[in-house]
Amino acid sequence: MKRKTNKPTNKKSLSLTKMDLRGWVIMVPTLILFVFFMWGPLASNISYSFYETMGYTKVNFVGLENYVDVLKDPLFIKALINTIKYVFWSLIIGFLLPIIFALLLNEVVHFKGFFRGALYLPNIIPGLAAIIIWKFLMDPDPTAGLNAIFQTIGLKPLPWLNSQTAVIPLIVLAMTWKSSGATSLIYLAVLQSIDDTYYEAARLEGANVWQRIRFVTIPHILPTIRVLLILQIITVAQIFYEPLVMTGGGPNNASISLLQLIYRYVFERGNVAKAAAIGVIVAIILIILTLIYFKVSKKSEE
Amino acid sequence: MRKKLYAYFCLLTMLLIVIGVSGAKLFGKDKKIQITIGMWPESYLKDDVEMFEEWKRLFEKDFPEYEVVGKPYSYSPETFFPMAQSGTTPTVFQTWFTEPPKLIRNGFVKDITDPLKELGWYDKMDPSMRDILSENGKVYGVPRDAYGLGLFINLEILEEVGLVDDWNGDGILDIVDQDGNPRYPTTFDELREMAKYITDFEKDVYGKDVAGLVILSTNRNGGWQFSNIAWNFGANLQIQDENGKWKANLNDPGAVEALEWIKALKWEDDSLPASALLSYSDWYNYVATGRAAMAFCGNDVIHLPITNFNMDKNYVAFVPMPAGPYGHRYSLMGGTPFMFSSNATDEQIWGALKFLEYMGRSPEVSEVSIQSIQLGMEVARKKGMPILPSLRPWINQDFLEMIERIEKQYINVELSNFNDFFDTFDQMKRKEEPNYPQEMYELLDACIQEVLTNPNADPKTLLTNANNTFQKQYIDKIK
Repeated sequence: MKRKTNKPTNKKSLSLTKMDLRGWVIMVPTLILFVFFMWGPLASNISYSFYETMGYTKVNFVGLENYVDVLKDPLFIKALINTIKYVFWSLIIGFLLPIIFALLLNEVVHFKGFFRGALYLPNIIPGLAAIIIWKFLMDPDPTAGLNAIFQTIGLKPLPWLNSQTAVIPLIVLAMTWKSSGATSLIYLAVLQSIDDTYYEAARLEGANVWQRIRFVTIPHILPTIRVLLILQIITVAQIFYEPLVMTGGGPNNASISLLQLIYRYVFERGNVAKAAAIGVIVAIILIILTLIYFKVSKKSEE
Repeated sequence: MRKKLYAYFCLLTMLLIVIGVSGAKLFGKDKKIQITIGMWPESYLKDDVEMFEEWKRLFEKDFPEYEVVGKPYSYSPETFFPMAQSGTTPTVFQTWFTEPPKLIRNGFVKDITDPLKELGWYDKMDPSMRDILSENGKVYGVPRDAYGLGLFINLEILEEVGLVDDWNGDGILDIVDQDGNPRYPTTFDELREMAKYITDFEKDVYGKDVAGLVILSTNRNGGWQFSNIAWNFGANLQIQDENGKWKANLNDPGAVEALEWIKALKWEDDSLPASALLSYSDWYNYVATGRAAMAFCGNDVIHLPITNFNMDKNYVAFVPMPAGPYGHRYSLMGGTPFMFSSNATDEQIWGALKFLEYMGRSPEVSEVSIQSIQLGMEVARKKGMPILPSLRPWINQDFLEMIERIEKQYINVELSNFNDFFDTFDQMKRKEEPNYPQEMYELLDACIQEVLTNPNADPKTLLTNANNTFQKQYIDKIK
């Protein structure tokens, strides 16, 4: 904008159009990609959800029928509750852990690089491979995985993924193992950006370790915590391949998630429209969650 | 300057894309009729590719107006839907036996009734196979082969616990003794008893964890096998009233009894694998590695434990499904179908069908079909695969005689360990339940998983709930 005003007035209109044109030429491919890969599919997903479909072809407009059908599917309620459980357990197991790791790592004096690398290592393993490793470890077979180790040290084998109550926390455990390292590094970066003078001042005032954490560290990382909290809720609410690979949603759908239900509708039952309807419902839930978060965080800032 | 260059670059890219797309449309046409073959093997399977190249050469020699193009495609629902939507489905492709209803319902495959009748194949197709591939009297596919469910037995384990021996002294274990008595379970009671015996014996004597039987429970495999078990306990899972209206019947007393039978194996006998979430690949993993003695499977996949886990083919026996307590004895039958793209022209369909003859997958008895079948067997032999008898998807006498003659030269397993299955199959075969079988299996999977993980589960309540869901969500919607 500034450059425009710097130009001599008589040339202004001409050069403007030229610049505009050039701008547009640069922008258009990106715009096309956006429309083609993001907004288009989004819009068409919404429109699919109001139709009866044959393959990906819309056949009849059916209004809200798909939504009514989906809400009546007992599996939908189950998947919704499970998804909430995933979010809940991911907050219990996976939310504080990276913060603690980062705080510890920040205090480490020797081998800092080694610990940082070690913490990040699970994140390098491709997601599917990590999940399959955990699937093997959590095999209920008394002679397999962790049970084999348990037996050699005289412990009783556990049912692991066979247990309908433990299956979700166990899947969350595997996810946390994989991803907490990366989150820790983000926290660590924030921790290291805190100016040392704050700590020095705190020490001069006679603050002990807990007080330093309470009054210096936490206020500094609070904004990051907030952002990562909402990001985690949104990401975990979209959990998909972990239960798909580890349990297929079982036992008796005890670990099926909403996104996996979408997958079932499209690829196993061949019903695109109903899958689209669940997609819209999930999106609405996430939008509401995000709005609540913005409200709350604004209030707490005030 | 750099910005200007970048702008030109962007413009050029767009132009190229436009030219590329339209150019492909303008100049892409060839004079020859192209048929794309989806079951073409991947390039790393050298022997198979050579075999297909040979079939292509022969076909193009006899029909110079055609061009055969290999387009290896291994079916999966995830990739098929988008491919079908974009219109790039191969002219002919191989799919799973479970898929035809869904593909037909979604309009992805072509009705081939007329060309089949013209070629005279319509009447030669086994009517029960034709039924599976048909909807509203129209046929949509050609069966590659047929399968029936039976019981796979690891003879090595049965010998270990003293149930079988090399009765005829030819160095290979036998499932039928010297007096012709079957040493395999012929009823579900016997099966349960034998499974428990094997598990207990292995634990007590050798200290090993060996499951007597594998029951699948995920990806709709559990429901699929369970429907066969339930039939043999006397159940009909879908029934039709006098007006032709369908009714879900998953909580039939026979089905409840069948589920109770599974529950007893798990909680009373402890003769099933510990995991309650077993998928298709697990059955052959378990039996091949000696972690289970028996499993239900189709006769078309007997080779999987051998090719995937190097199981010795002489330790394999395959026997008929056991009979239920009231004498019902069925074997669920299906087949791997070839299906045809709904975008293909009549000429392409005709060419693709004719190519099946050059692959030895048609009812035609001709020099070329004999040659191809023999070539197929040679390649299988070269790869060290077990060559077993098969169920025939075609019923014309000359075809049956031809295939029998050829198979005799190539079969490389002890036939007496398989004969009972093939001899009794015709009286036992029964096709899948007709309406929404996959959706039904999904619901049954969940019931099986529940009884396998919850010792207090009530089979009747589970099946009644599943039945209500199935009725409301699917059966009520049949127009």
